[in-house]
Amino acid sequence: MADLSVNVCGVSLKNPVIPASGTFGFGREFDEIYDISCLGGVATKGLTLKPRLGNPVPRIAERSGVILNAVGLQNPGVEAFIAHDLAWLSQKTRVLANVAGSTLEDYGEICARLDGLVDFVELNISCPNVRSGGMALGIKAENVKEVTRLAKDNLKKTPLIVKLSPNVESIANNARAAEEGGADCLSLVNTFTGLAIDIERRRPILANNTGGVSGAGIKPIAVRMVYEASHAVNIPVIGMGGIACGEDAIEFMMAGAAAVQVGTQNFTDTLACPKIIEGMNAWCDRHGVKNITEIVGAATFNKPAAK
Amino acid sequence: MREVTGIVLENREIARGIYSLTFSAGEEISVRPGQFCMIGVQGFPLRRPIAICRAEGERITLCYRVNGNGTRTLAEGCKAGEKVSALLPLGNGFFVQEGEKKVAVVGGGVGIFPLISAIRAYCDEKEIYAYMGFRGRDALCLEYEMRRGKELVIATDDGSVGYHGTAVQAFMEDFDRVRPDVVLSCGPTPMLRALKSAMQGRNVPVYVSLEERMGCGIGACLVCVCDRTNGAHARVCKDGPVFEMNDVVL
Repeated sequence: MADLSVNVCGVSLKNPVIPASGTFGFGREFDEIYDISCLGGVATKGLTLKPRLGNPVPRIAERSGVILNAVGLQNPGVEAFIAHDLAWLSQKTRVLANVAGSTLEDYGEICARLDGLVDFVELNISCPNVRSGGMALGIKAENVKEVTRLAKDNLKKTPLIVKLSPNVESIANNARAAEEGGADCLSLVNTFTGLAIDIERRRPILANNTGGVSGAGIKPIAVRMVYEASHAVNIPVIGMGGIACGEDAIEFMMAGAAAVQVGTQNFTDTLACPKIIEGMNAWCDRHGVKNITEIVGAATFNKPAAK
Repeated sequence: MREVTGIVLENREIARGIYSLTFSAGEEISVRPGQFCMIGVQGFPLRRPIAICRAEGERITLCYRVNGNGTRTLAEGCKAGEKVSALLPLGNGFFVQEGEKKVAVVGGGVGIFPLISAIRAYCDEKEIYAYMGFRGRDALCLEYEMRRGKELVIATDDGSVGYHGTAVQAFMEDFDRVRPDVVLSCGPTPMLRALKSAMQGRNVPVYVSLEERMGCGIGACLVCVCDRTNGAHARVCKDGPVFEMNDVVL
């Protein structure tokens, strides 16, 4: 039995496995199937200041090895979460409150509201920025730095995780921008923007036309981005993107992740997270790894060949 | 609500493009009529939500139409003796009140399968009048299950069997004679809309089972929402799939 506990920004997690935002609600439904106190933490459904109804349906589509989703941040609002779910979730496990804004200013307000109440705030910066002509805040490095700074200014007690979008020119540059803006930790990758067309109807499957691509098919790209981001900064990185088993989680940690998140696989198997924890433990035992932190960034990379 | 690895006992075509999959869940599963199962398909990230047609102890039967790659793989690749991952029972299901004696069930397409579970559950204590619609003779299946009630009208679009027309038309022609206390329905949205419009002002509760593309199947991901008439969203998988017809926008 290996020691799977990790410490992220001074917060101890009993293991590195965290269900990813949007796939797990606030944990109550999955807790009907297994006791979620076995998890390292839970990243909540994305919260906004006011309740949001989200996008029309269909909100989900499937392609080989991946899914696309466009839920549109449906959530009951941060106040409802604090009133009805936070106390329950906090006594189960570590809480990563995933937050999103409709405007840049929203981010400051929602962070201030959650400061000191949760274990981490995880910033979703993939929503459109009105001032940048609707372009997502997470695309340009200067916007990443600005929104991170604003969030950090409103968090006196709770560590800030910035969740990076992969739909960018340079993940290393955006990782550095978040670090410069004051992020305590990074998480990546959020979903890749994609499109699925129903060729019989000659229309997109999703009501929103495009959606975020996730699942096993994106894993090699996500591992590469986690490697690049974690080697560009001096803050911890939480890796995700297509993790389906313990070995996948180990791979992300070898690329440089201090912890991991699991999203799509929760749909394929409701017991995915406990099975991944068990799989990581079994892998450590087979390889004589006593403490999971030994494998963080443990992959040795080849030197580029001289041209 | 349980996550199980079942063993497939049988998976065969029972009408053109319609398959019946029976598996042993490995433990007794208590299922209410109208509840559903998320069934895993090897190689596909999303499970398929399929109504539970029959539940007898550990034996669970799901009936489904081959609609795309996932259901085709389920039909062709899932053989007796193989393992299947399943999450069940899910959703609220149909519930008929004590005082409701005469129950009309109106179904079309694959919507007949959750209604068969209701007929099986209530046929001993209620008078069941079933109106089941099919495209034609080659789509007809499980007639013996539908006959468990007091009366059955089979309706076909092409008139090849039974009533020539839709299940809703057949039901409305019988309405004044039968005078049901409650109506249970499941089928394509145009059928449900026709039923809603025909039942307007008749003061009989109608419960409809809805279908939507799903993610988790347990109410966590908010993928499969429908609109309530009060403007809120409901989760089809958790708050439904059965709704009082006037509570939801069809």
